[in-house]
Amino acid sequence: MASELHINDLQLKYLELETLLDITNELNSFDQIPVLLHEILVKSCAVLNASSGLIFIEDDNSDVLHIGAEFNIDISILKGFILNKQKGFLSEINESRQARSYEIEQNSFLSKTLCKYALIAPLLEKKNLVGIVVLFDKESRKGISPFHEADANMLSAIASQASVAYNNIKLLENIKEAKTFNDNVMQSIATGVFTTNLMGEINHINSAATTIINLEKNHVLGNHYEYIFESNETITQLITKCQLKSVTLSESQVLIECNGKLTTVNISVSPLMNDSNEPIGSVIAMEDLSNIVKLKSTFKKYVSKQIVDQLLENDDMLNLGGQELEATILFSDIRGFTSMSETMSPKEVVETLNEYFDLMIEIIFKYNGTLDKIIGDALMVIYGAPNATEQDTENAVLTAIEMQEKLIQFNQDRIINLKQPIKIGIGINRGKVISGNIGSKQQMNFTVIGDSVNLASRLCSVAESDEIIVSDAVWKMVKHVKSYKSKKLNPVHVKGKVKPIEIKGILYNRPDFQYELAYKKIEHFLLENLPKNYPYHSIEHIRDVVKQTERIAKKEKVEKSVFQDIKLAAWLHDVGYIWEPARHEVRGAEYATSILTEMKFPKSKISLITGMIMATKIPQSPKNHLEQILCDADLDYLGRDDYALNSNNLLQELELTKKLKAKDWLQIQEKFLRAHSYFTPTSQKLRNKIKQQTLLNIQQQLKNI
Amino acid sequence: MSDFITSVKDNNSIVIIETNGYLNNVGGEAVSAVVYEKMTQGHKKFLINMAATKIVNSIGVSILIEIIEKLQEVDGKIGYYNLAPIVAKTFTIMGLTKYSSVFESEEAAVNGL
Repeated sequence: MASELHINDLQLKYLELETLLDITNELNSFDQIPVLLHEILVKSCAVLNASSGLIFIEDDNSDVLHIGAEFNIDISILKGFILNKQKGFLSEINESRQARSYEIEQNSFLSKTLCKYALIAPLLEKKNLVGIVVLFDKESRKGISPFHEADANMLSAIASQASVAYNNIKLLENIKEAKTFNDNVMQSIATGVFTTNLMGEINHINSAATTIINLEKNHVLGNHYEYIFESNETITQLITKCQLKSVTLSESQVLIECNGKLTTVNISVSPLMNDSNEPIGSVIAMEDLSNIVKLKSTFKKYVSKQIVDQLLENDDMLNLGGQELEATILFSDIRGFTSMSETMSPKEVVETLNEYFDLMIEIIFKYNGTLDKIIGDALMVIYGAPNATEQDTENAVLTAIEMQEKLIQFNQDRIINLKQPIKIGIGINRGKVISGNIGSKQQMNFTVIGDSVNLASRLCSVAESDEIIVSDAVWKMVKHVKSYKSKKLNPVHVKGKVKPIEIKGILYNRPDFQYELAYKKIEHFLLENLPKNYPYHSIEHIRDVVKQTERIAKKEKVEKSVFQDIKLAAWLHDVGYIWEPARHEVRGAEYATSILTEMKFPKSKISLITGMIMATKIPQSPKNHLEQILCDADLDYLGRDDYALNSNNLLQELELTKKLKAKDWLQIQEKFLRAHSYFTPTSQKLRNKIKQQTLLNIQQQLKNI
Repeated sequence: MSDFITSVKDNNSIVIIETNGYLNNVGGEAVSAVVYEKMTQGHKKFLINMAATKIVNSIGVSILIEIIEKLQEVDGKIGYYNLAPIVAKTFTIMGLTKYSSVFESEEAAVNGL
């Protein structure tokens, strides 16, 4: 019985193997080094009957080992002792890299443990010693004993497994540390960065990128880039192309829309490669340009886009410190605006000025002028600061000419709408100025000051409406341009100057009358102002007359020089309904005379047009071919299939003032149709037949009553 | 009482010993000392609560076997409960479970011994 109860060697070997197997199976489940070391130590002690044990592990930055795990031992006794792997028994282990059994010598480091025997096995990373497992005093029923060679072999096997697990955890920790480091770097940079895997799924994104694309990280990660950027074809195309061709691609100033937010970005897409240089995805970097765009946008209110771009690209160009330089200064202001504004509501004044400034500033920027300031209705523009070019003075003159020309077109609309036209005078001078940031600490503006600036302002004051006055200095710089014509003006005395100043008036061609533009403006004016309760004399009737006028004029082979005039008369022939329906021809002719005179229309043309308008008065009385065409166009419907519709509209209009009996209305129509004759062969040929039939129908109806 | 034995109590003529720590030579000797003393007082049934003993070596197991041998001489019994898996496995490999009982809980041990 007693023999059955003895533990035999086979059972011990079985236990050793099971323990080794357990350690092998469990080691990879540990992800923390202290836990791993403790488990190794405890199991090693148990399987090898050690009374206690220690694991020493190296510090990251030195050859010194520290206690990584202890079992069944008071480690306070070892406090203050340094274990250097280059010294003592450790140097032997370091060299041999084998497990060894020791009898602990007195005064040695391990003697502090009060143990007699030790079994030490190395923990290795590749061939480097990173730690040791120390087991103390092999137990037996007879007391403690030295460890055997078999114990050393067993501990070596365990230590080998432990080394692999230890190194794996270290590697994992290093990867985590590297990832944390990378994440921290990525999170701290202002450039938005995200990566995709080969499937196109986004697997990393930094906080700058989430801000740019206006989406939470959780909404982005794991989703395909096509889904995230479905409204941004540029980005999806870049990523797709990069993945297909494994090349770096970039695009500047791309406006992207993500989750309702618009952002301008520079994008760069690069292939992401592994160690074997095989593609594993893409990395996309987006530089948020919103602030630059905002800066540009703000800046562009004062200088042209071209100058903003040049300044942003070249810091040296921007010299905001005070300096003396040559510059050309343009002043313009509206003549009589103060008195004009007295007849307008404050809202109208602001609207008018804004429309005017929008137009003028666009021209200023077109010629690279720097808008220095707006003073009431006046503009001050600099050419040559903050950056100078050889074209500065010519640009100033071109600006002035285009300002005057564009103003004529601008005024066309105002005149048609019975608003007072805006007239400006412009003065330009060139000379030395002091440029820089001038002002107080609270408010500072870049500007130019000096006599030359004052003179430009005085020249502007001298200029009449529609006039451009330049100083002799300006004229000398632009007179070589053959297209510029000037008129000599009397020298002027200006404040602060003893001698009179030589000046020139720059001549410019009045742009041709924009007929098509005028038609549109008149149509808009009619739409806005014609009485809405007149079913017959409506915008539809006027549009029809314009259309018939064009048709008849073409058939009648009207000369090109007057074709546009007859069409203009057609648009204007019923405009008088706005003010006085009963005398609408007279009021229409007055309106036409007024606006066309203001637009510098030749008097002969004005007479031609007003004559056509007056000729439409019933009974029609055309005195020339053009008047005949307009008269026929005005009553074209008399010979058309839609006569009934038009006559019904007319009846409704007449009944606004007097109710008519059916018979009376038939009689009126019968009398009118019988008396009417088309004047032009074109209308006679095309409309007489139906008109005659309509007359017979009405006469038949009268008989039937 | 050694550090390894944290409590010894009687429960319906069963001596329940609670241990803490490494069941090795020292731990085993501590247990055997308690058991042999209690045997002299006439106790024959012993239970060891091993909830706080997570590791055991073959020397500790040998001592338990010696205890079993002594108890067999007086028709006594010993059992264990609250064993850690590794301890239970060691007991099985060492053949301890053939001559003594392992229980899930104190209640099962008291009723089953």
